[in-house]
Amino acid sequence: MDIVDAKVESRLSVEQIRKDIDETIIFLEAEISGAVESKNRINERIQELEVEKRGLEPLLSIPLDLEFYSDYTNITVFTGTVRTDPESALKKSVDRVEVFKAAGGSFVAVFVAKKEASEAQRILIQNGFTDVPLSKGKGSPDQVIKGIDEEEAALKKVFSEAEDKLSELRKKNQAFVLASEEQFSIDVEKAEFPLRIATTSRAFFAEGWIPAAQTDKVKAALAEKMGDNVFLEVVEVKNRKEPHGEHEADEEEVPVRTSEKRPLSLFSSFVELISTPKYNEIDPAMIIAITFPLFFGLMVGDVAYGILFMALGWLGLKKVRTDDWRMISTMLFFGGVWATIFGVFLFGEAFGLHFARQITGGTEELSWSFLLNMDLPHSIDLAGISIPLGVFSKLHDVNKLLLISVWIGIAHLFIGLGLGFANVAMRSGFVHAIKEKFSWVLILFGVALILPYMLAHLDNIMAMDFTSTAVLVPLAFVIIGIVLAIIGEGGTAILELPGLASNILSYTRLTAIGTSKAGLALAFNMIALEMLAPAGGAMLIFGIVIFMVGHLAVFILAVISAGMHGIRLHYVELFGKFYKGGGLKFSPLKIVRKYTSER
Amino acid sequence: MVDVGSGMVAIGAGLAVGLAGLASGWAEKDIGSAAVGAVAENPKNFGRSLILTVIPETIVIFGLVIAFLLMGKI
Repeated sequence: MDIVDAKVESRLSVEQIRKDIDETIIFLEAEISGAVESKNRINERIQELEVEKRGLEPLLSIPLDLEFYSDYTNITVFTGTVRTDPESALKKSVDRVEVFKAAGGSFVAVFVAKKEASEAQRILIQNGFTDVPLSKGKGSPDQVIKGIDEEEAALKKVFSEAEDKLSELRKKNQAFVLASEEQFSIDVEKAEFPLRIATTSRAFFAEGWIPAAQTDKVKAALAEKMGDNVFLEVVEVKNRKEPHGEHEADEEEVPVRTSEKRPLSLFSSFVELISTPKYNEIDPAMIIAITFPLFFGLMVGDVAYGILFMALGWLGLKKVRTDDWRMISTMLFFGGVWATIFGVFLFGEAFGLHFARQITGGTEELSWSFLLNMDLPHSIDLAGISIPLGVFSKLHDVNKLLLISVWIGIAHLFIGLGLGFANVAMRSGFVHAIKEKFSWVLILFGVALILPYMLAHLDNIMAMDFTSTAVLVPLAFVIIGIVLAIIGEGGTAILELPGLASNILSYTRLTAIGTSKAGLALAFNMIALEMLAPAGGAMLIFGIVIFMVGHLAVFILAVISAGMHGIRLHYVELFGKFYKGGGLKFSPLKIVRKYTSER
Repeated sequence: MVDVGSGMVAIGAGLAVGLAGLASGWAEKDIGSAAVGAVAENPKNFGRSLILTVIPETIVIFGLVIAFLLMGKI
């Protein structure tokens, strides 16, 4: 019946299904097999007619009725296609012959006396003759074809009636068919389950994983259903230490259950995209949930885009069901919230235009104040505290923003190393954690300490005083860190030092992407609002079109670049500091009902 | 009229972005083609492939940062 996944309005109860199933199946079977059979019959007949019609088509240009092609006592008729014209050759060596040629084609009909038939056949074969048998019939070919066409049209009508009937059946019964199929597969699964576990004639035995926190709940539920007939034993609550020595190989992998609470569960898919966390490590969904939308918002940093993202994301979370789109919607919604907040307070802009007037070097730039010809404030007072509307300009304060993004990067890496420390401590103990991760915390701390001093001397590196405490103290941290790291991980740790620097610098993309998008938006705004729109008339419309197309482009780029780079900072820079992954996802034995309900 | 020095700085900034962009593209081309292959084999790889493909984008971002720093000197 070709019923696939469909949205159903209401779920059917199991009871209802059990009551109606026999009747409905018998009814449907009769109806459908009747309709399908007649459909098949009609299809066959139509194909036959088509073949017949194709055979008659060459005869159209030969002025003979169909009955003249057969039933002779003294004449043999050859009909078929030839490669070369056989007429002259036939006329030469056969006495009594008549040749009809179809217009424009290679089809010939040759009438020849019976006794000369073999000679004629020889000549025809020399000319590449292929026999085309004709169907018997009466009347002129075009009349016959007309008759075939009429029959075909009538058949097609019956066919489409059968189709309509089927689709009506489909519409009426799809909910029931889907629900009963679901119910039966549940029944089958239930019936098959004892096969997967150990059974004797009087008892069966099942072994599996349950979340440790739910042990009591499972016990209670089993006791309620089965009373004294069940015996549950908790074999072992797995600890999170790394297995060592001879146990390593035969340790069964512990399945990992990630958070199922919203909104955290939404961000689990971002972790799943890399791999499921191991049992003995911290689930990074939490950190992604906090910093990923923050980074996304920082890179977009525009009220108008932010609100649009929020709306789109909210719509997506409501409507879409596929995992990929849910991830994108999650990113858009939560990122949009931060983009709006940063757009209002940090950058003070919408569609790449600042709220307040911007005057640089004596000329006024485009801004909402300028466009609307009113003075929007630089800040608002709320309960006596002045809250700024736009601290930075993405295009004019690039250096400041770059510096901020580096500090964000350092903070983010500290979080990563901290999680790494916790993971190693959980797996292999505190001492290992100090050597493997705290060493890097020290190195990063040293780098963070020396950074302001280096930046102060960026213009003249030669003037740096390497004996001052501002250099020596951070250097001491770095050296202690390196020594610890070498003890913990071996000499290769030194090779990872430049990696740390490039990790930190990698966070400058937070600014770089925001600035490049602001530049793009500025270009479109200037073309549309400064150059085209003031001319009025057709230019105004053209300007509006440029404005819309341009901002659509920036908007889409914002999704791609801010989204990709935001998540990449987590996957590459952050996860590199603590995440292993490769765990086994906990997939509990449970019944998922989509079309049915147990009520 | 800008002086020759500023012009040179601007050219330098342009080269920083342009060459870094070329390098990114060069690196991404191989990853991208392999990624398309992986996605063709199993569409589930799409997300991971996309992430791996943009990893060399860091290079052009460094170029962009250098360009910003240079433009600040004009």
